[in-house]
Amino acid sequence: MEESLRPSGGKKAMIHLVILAISVLIGLVFSYLAITERDLLKAVGFSAIQAVAYAIAFYLLMAPDIVLAYVAISVGIYSALLIFLIRKTGRYEV
Amino acid sequence: MKRTLPLLLILALVVVFAYLFATKGVISAPTELRPLGKFYLEKCMIGGDFAAGSPEAVTSILWDYRGLDTLFETSVFFLAIIGSLMLFSFKVKEVVREQELTLVVRSVTKIAAVMILAVSASIALHGHLTPGGGFQGGSALAVAPLLVLVAFSRKILETSGLSLKRAIVIRSLGLMGILLTALLPLTLGGYIMQNLPIFPKYIADQLTSGSLIFYNVFEYLAVGAGFTAVFLLISIPEKNFVEEEK
Repeated sequence: MEESLRPSGGKKAMIHLVILAISVLIGLVFSYLAITERDLLKAVGFSAIQAVAYAIAFYLLMAPDIVLAYVAISVGIYSALLIFLIRKTGRYEV
Repeated sequence: MKRTLPLLLILALVVVFAYLFATKGVISAPTELRPLGKFYLEKCMIGGDFAAGSPEAVTSILWDYRGLDTLFETSVFFLAIIGSLMLFSFKVKEVVREQELTLVVRSVTKIAAVMILAVSASIALHGHLTPGGGFQGGSALAVAPLLVLVAFSRKILETSGLSLKRAIVIRSLGLMGILLTALLPLTLGGYIMQNLPIFPKYIADQLTSGSLIFYNVFEYLAVGAGFTAVFLLISIPEKNFVEEEK
């Protein structure tokens, strides 16, 4: 009974966990790069890559509703907003 | 006329292929049901007028069981947009010619914008059947005019019919639609935001889940047009602002 309650057991779940770990790790690395980067345009690019990695993680955690909103907002709208902001202010962090 | 014929042809092909795929059973849903899925299906779909009438648990909760939460969330979002519209209440100088990006970027944008429109409409209109919904579809919809804005210019967006005024009008229509859908049950003797006995569960044999599809469509228009209005304002360079005379 307990086995059948699990959505996917054994090796399949293992692969899910490995992909989850890799994508979250990519997200961590790129968020670090986005924070330390002094060229703000590049930092926006890094943050977009981090968003894609997190979208994969959300998908693996079975939250497809979050993925659909998260991809559109964090890759499209949020990056565009920051790029407009960078155009209005300065490109390099002082 | 030159463009309508290929467009009609594509539309006819899509409809024919969709009909063939759907009726011949080329694409079929899985027949087995997991215990968790069964639980949610019993709570959301089956259960008469006390359920939301939708197989999608998230949309059922968002627009039915916890509908008032979403209603107030939506109003907070639109207050934020009203605030940014107010901040940008400058007069804007007319710009004769704006810089466009290269041919490659423009061609890719042309294709991608149409695809984004289609995907966003599919996310919003299937919101009561599959993951997605009004907000998700609307925020995807807002990316299409944003791409056109960046790759082409403000001017092209405005001459092709999406001016700031029209975006605000569409946003207001969407908001009015949400409000009317929420208040309509009151006039028919129900509760505010009541779903099932008031709104039909099936329209022309298609599962529309009562009021959920109306909320999704109106939220889709309102969110997409709201984001577009903000982007139309934020993309104006500062040097084009004209100080208003007092």
